[in-house]
Amino acid sequence: MNHGKQILLHALILAFAAATLLPFVFVMNNSLRSNAEQYHAFFGLPQSLERIIVTIPAALRGATEPMTVEDEEGTLRQVAPAKALGVSVLTATKGYRHAWHVIRPYMLNSLFVSITTAAGVLLLGSLTAYVLSRQRFFGAKALYLYIIGTMMFPGALTLVPSFMLVKKLGLLNTYWAMILPYIAGGQVFAIFVFKSFFDGLPEELFESARLDGAGHSQLYRYIVLPLSKPVLSVVAVMSILGTWNEFLWPFITNTEGKYHVIASGLYVLATSPYASNFSTLFAAYLISSVPLLLLFIYATKPFIQGVTSGAFKA
Amino acid sequence: MRVRWISLALVVALGAWLLWPQPSDEAPNDTAPKQGHAAHSQDVRYVLRFSPGYFFMPDSVPYGIGKPLQGLKTVVREFEARFPDTRVEFLNVPGVREYLVTQLSSGRAPDIINVNVEDVWTDVQKGWYVALDPYLEQPNPFVVEKGDPNAPGYKQWWDIFRYQAISRGKAAPDGLVYCLSYDMIETGIFYNKDIFGKVGIEAPEDWESFLEVCRKVQAAGYTPVLMSIDMFSDWCTDLFFDQVYNNLLPGIDLLKDPKREPYLQGYLDWDEICFLHNLGFFTSSDPRYGEIWRLMKEFRQYVNRNLATTDLTREFVTQRGAMHWNSSNFTYRLLADKQLGFEWGVFYPPPFTDRTTPHASHVPMCVIGGSANQIEVTNSAFGDTGDPNTSERLQRVIALLQFLTLPENCERVVNEYPCLIPNVVGVPVLPPLKPFEEILERPYTTTKWVYTFDLKFSEIQRRMLELYLNDGIPFEEFLAWQEKNLGAACHNLVMRKPIDIPRMQAAWDAQAAARATMKDLPNE
Amino acid sequence: MNRERIPNHRLRATLSCYAIVAVPVLLLTLFVYLPVIWAFSKSLYQFEIGGESVFVGLGNYVEFLTADPVTWPSLGHMLLLTTFAVCMRLSVPLLVAKLVHSIPVERWRYVYRIVFLTPIVVPGVAVQLIWSGLIYADNGLVNETLRSLGLDSLARGWLSDPTTALPAVALIGLPFVGGFEVLIYYAGLSGIPESVNEAARLEGCTGLRKFFLIDIPMVMSQLKLVLILTIIGGVQGFQGLFIVTRGGPGFKTTVPGLWMYYNAFSFQRMGYACAIGVCLFVLIFGLTLLNMKYFRSTEELEGGR
Repeated sequence: MNHGKQILLHALILAFAAATLLPFVFVMNNSLRSNAEQYHAFFGLPQSLERIIVTIPAALRGATEPMTVEDEEGTLRQVAPAKALGVSVLTATKGYRHAWHVIRPYMLNSLFVSITTAAGVLLLGSLTAYVLSRQRFFGAKALYLYIIGTMMFPGALTLVPSFMLVKKLGLLNTYWAMILPYIAGGQVFAIFVFKSFFDGLPEELFESARLDGAGHSQLYRYIVLPLSKPVLSVVAVMSILGTWNEFLWPFITNTEGKYHVIASGLYVLATSPYASNFSTLFAAYLISSVPLLLLFIYATKPFIQGVTSGAFKA
Repeated sequence: MRVRWISLALVVALGAWLLWPQPSDEAPNDTAPKQGHAAHSQDVRYVLRFSPGYFFMPDSVPYGIGKPLQGLKTVVREFEARFPDTRVEFLNVPGVREYLVTQLSSGRAPDIINVNVEDVWTDVQKGWYVALDPYLEQPNPFVVEKGDPNAPGYKQWWDIFRYQAISRGKAAPDGLVYCLSYDMIETGIFYNKDIFGKVGIEAPEDWESFLEVCRKVQAAGYTPVLMSIDMFSDWCTDLFFDQVYNNLLPGIDLLKDPKREPYLQGYLDWDEICFLHNLGFFTSSDPRYGEIWRLMKEFRQYVNRNLATTDLTREFVTQRGAMHWNSSNFTYRLLADKQLGFEWGVFYPPPFTDRTTPHASHVPMCVIGGSANQIEVTNSAFGDTGDPNTSERLQRVIALLQFLTLPENCERVVNEYPCLIPNVVGVPVLPPLKPFEEILERPYTTTKWVYTFDLKFSEIQRRMLELYLNDGIPFEEFLAWQEKNLGAACHNLVMRKPIDIPRMQAAWDAQAAARATMKDLPNE
Repeated sequence: MNRERIPNHRLRATLSCYAIVAVPVLLLTLFVYLPVIWAFSKSLYQFEIGGESVFVGLGNYVEFLTADPVTWPSLGHMLLLTTFAVCMRLSVPLLVAKLVHSIPVERWRYVYRIVFLTPIVVPGVAVQLIWSGLIYADNGLVNETLRSLGLDSLARGWLSDPTTALPAVALIGLPFVGGFEVLIYYAGLSGIPESVNEAARLEGCTGLRKFFLIDIPMVMSQLKLVLILTIIGGVQGFQGLFIVTRGGPGFKTTVPGLWMYYNAFSFQRMGYACAIGVCLFVLIFGLTLLNMKYFRSTEELEGGR
């Protein structure tokens, strides 16, 4: 392919990438700007950053004449450059510190709920798929249809009755209100994926193991699990992603506000009377992306491997 | 590959350290005490849950400016010191009605909440709230122990409240009082005196001058009035309705409640509205009803383009808008803003004249505010025995409220920043709020539409009004929507609550003479 | 003796299998089937939380389909939004995937794959809030850009203006490239056997012709997957609308799912909300059946040949 065509390709792709990432660039920019700045102009670089850049050389030099800096509450102060640097950094990060303080419990809840759900989904899903796929027993097909049939029901249909059920069970305002329904729903997709994967495994493996006297648990632990590593990561990632972004269900089952996850917590934050500090809001959006970013960094490779391994056939 | 695992382990360790749940890590606005109560933690018998609303929530920062609030927390800590077996937790309830209903019906609501009392009135028969009359008619023990027999509250707790008529007027249609009015709020139109000076205008005295003022301001390039759709649907509707229907009251106010009447001086409850609606009032055949919306549309052209905006403050503070309709707590926002840079004042919407509409009642614009923090006690408070008469927990909750209403305590809470007007005798009004104190002297509104019917009614009215004001639907279609909306709301209420038609019919017939001189009543 | 043993063994095997699946099936029944049955039955009643139930038979359905002025417009909005989403998600990501796939250097391909996958780390709620609070806000990106270009008169409340609300909501997520679709299509394109590419090159089928005649049919199964997911998401999804416009102005951006939520939790009309849910279910069921009947995946195409 000639050089010109390559450049054109790159340019097009970069244009798309820029359009996609533009909103987040603004979010990052505005998370460092104070309310007053944002009131006056939408486009502009954060003054706090400018302050930091200005004070660094003076502080490094060890200079002592006082410089003007704006502190967290917006008042101007005259302090020595070293202190000025500290104050500027504090001002710049005010949004992040405040947002972290607010997001911290939400993040903990999100992590707990998502990880527990993923673990439950993996365990129950792989076990059930193993049984359905490799064992012949009475009613296996009917059971499979029973399980897959749940995919037909829209979440909207079950929203109200699930809420009433959870209320009746006394699970409102607990972690279980979120975890149990998520596992119940998420395992269906896991069973679907695992089963199609297990169906492709050669029967000889199991035959020989069974002849050696292996029972369910040995078959599961020593044959099924090791072989299904690529699929495990795919299912785990999809489960985590699915539960991470669930907003409505935590919102309505969490009437006291203690067990909010990131999704519902962000909404509560953005619509509360305390949302007057824009930098806090935007910093919160960014901070809430960190866990998934980490997941992404570490799980993409196994995920892509799993997806392209052929387990995804529509 | 190994690098990957090591870095993953480091990340997990860092995450665990950052996120490890700490005892101080509770819901963001939870301020359960830590120090000073460790010794008593085994002796705590009652943990009272108090949702004070966002005006006085401890540790919150109003408008994000200034220091976190401490007043309520200080007062409550004193109460706890008095009663070592009690602990009070503050929580922030998302005040949306859907939450409240789910919480109340399962008995999990906070013991003390802060809800508009009209919402309470619709749920009174479900036993969700505690009637406070028995306690209000008794002396307030904290006043009694001070020893001054002339102090308000010595003989009856009722006497401690300043605005008697308003407070008693909050009684539900069943005659019982379910809320304490802790303080008062009122709305007003904040205006930029500098802009007014530049354009050469003064605060208007009647509606025509008001529109003229808006015209001039708009010609000068500013947004005349900054307000949102909620203000149209709630405040404006009540004000305009009162302006055109007030002089009909002798003929259409059928039920007069002796307890509430002294304050309300003519009020249309839901049952009267349903009855009148059946007779053709508030429909497309009621000329006055259409006037309300027509006048609103005429006024709308001087209001900001986007009615759903949340940024009205910004427009006013950066002097792009000349007037801003808001409530009394906005004074704090203006006072605390160090970069404000202009003079401002407050005036109340001026009344209609004959030039505005032939149905003008020639009364000053009514009061639509009134109680701000309306404190109610929920069924959770007597959750220990299930019976309000035997519950000791309930006694403690009531004691907390009695303590809060002492003048010195009310002052520390309500006057911590200029926001609301205290409703306790002897507590002064902060100077910036004086204009609102005067507004409160006006007569009360004829009805409060948004709080009379269910959420569906107010939701649909707000949405359709927004469409109508933005030229999304024509006038006739809007009226058709409203008529159906009101009809459905009345139908729903009638299905759920008893309505005394014969009594109203009798009153209607009896008041025929009063109606004889009124013109333009809807065809029956 | 052998004959007795085998049925026992079978029975034990069956029982052990059921024992294993007992917990998942219990969870499923409890949290999916039970609510569904409950919803179906409650849709025949009219009740609110804390109040009594009144049996109204098919009254809720009749009201929903004939007497509720919000129903048919909301279905229309749902149709428009879903169609637009389908068009966008089947075309733009595929285009970008093809572009990335065409880069000769593997390193760049890797980088770009990462770049386009990055936006999924931002929670969906945050994306909605960013669009409504930063981009469509009165002093947000769009309006400020217009003002700086001198087009002040075009600035408006995009999400609250009756004429622009629905298009504005549809355009959230522009250019619809961040996310899994690019990756899925890329995987599909990578899965095209080298033999096919060779054959195409030999026959002179390159560039756009190759794209339309060979690449697209070869990724049909991926397209079908995204189509199903987008349709299901579009028909029942309303979380985004809840956050961004709450269905307003008026009911211009209301979809049946949102209307159901409002009726259930704001208006307290649980029975009516269940009826709406049942109607949505019928719609999805019908669409799924349609999809299975008329859209053939790559395997089916190959098998058919």
